[in-house]
Amino acid sequence: MAGAIYIADEPGAVRAVALDGLVALFHAPSGMTHIVAPPAPQILEALQQGPADARTLLERIAEVYEIEEGGAEAIESRLAELETAGLVRRA
Amino acid sequence: MGDVMSEQSSKEGVLANPTRRTVLAFGAAAASTVVTIRPALAQTVGSVMNCEIPVPGPQHSGQYIAADGSLVAPGTPGSFAPPARPITGEEAKTLLRGGLTPNGMDSQSAQAYANYIRRLQSGMSGFTCYASLQLPR
Repeated sequence: MAGAIYIADEPGAVRAVALDGLVALFHAPSGMTHIVAPPAPQILEALQQGPADARTLLERIAEVYEIEEGGAEAIESRLAELETAGLVRRA
Repeated sequence: MGDVMSEQSSKEGVLANPTRRTVLAFGAAAASTVVTIRPALAQTVGSVMNCEIPVPGPQHSGQYIAADGSLVAPGTPGSFAPPARPITGEEAKTLLRGGLTPNGMDSQSAQAYANYIRRLQSGMSGFTCYASLQLPR
């Protein structure tokens, strides 16, 4: 899975508020608000360690979480959603 | 948001108790985990201008509007009969900025209506319409 490298904005660009299992994110650069469900917040957290491709991100997340079967395939979809929302971009 | 950094700093403890690790589902490829709320006015500019503010709201139907915008009994001196129709969002916007009086209304009545609209609170008829007028363009 030598996929694209993704990067996220600096933490200061996004304000997060936990909403009982969901997270509301205000992305200051775009003025957009997003409601995200797991694993989106975890992906964004993992990206704060630096730009990474999907596989590296999974490895980072797996250090903290047990990843459910099928995660390797689905993370691409999750990244695509985050990219569409403007919360991550390709390096 | 889960705090990856602090979780990692306690990673050894977590690994010592593998059953305590949170299982993270990545969902089906077709599922969506992001809902974007676009800036309200970009989406609703059409509906905002078409929304209506009843003066007064249906729960106070028949009451007159005093100059300060409060509701008073019909016929109270110095008060104004309610307008024959609701005030549209576009009209309210103009009126609140000291502009034109809505068609068919005299300027004194319109000022009372404007004050009524300014006093609208959450839960009152027309409040959402009024609130949406306050959003920056």
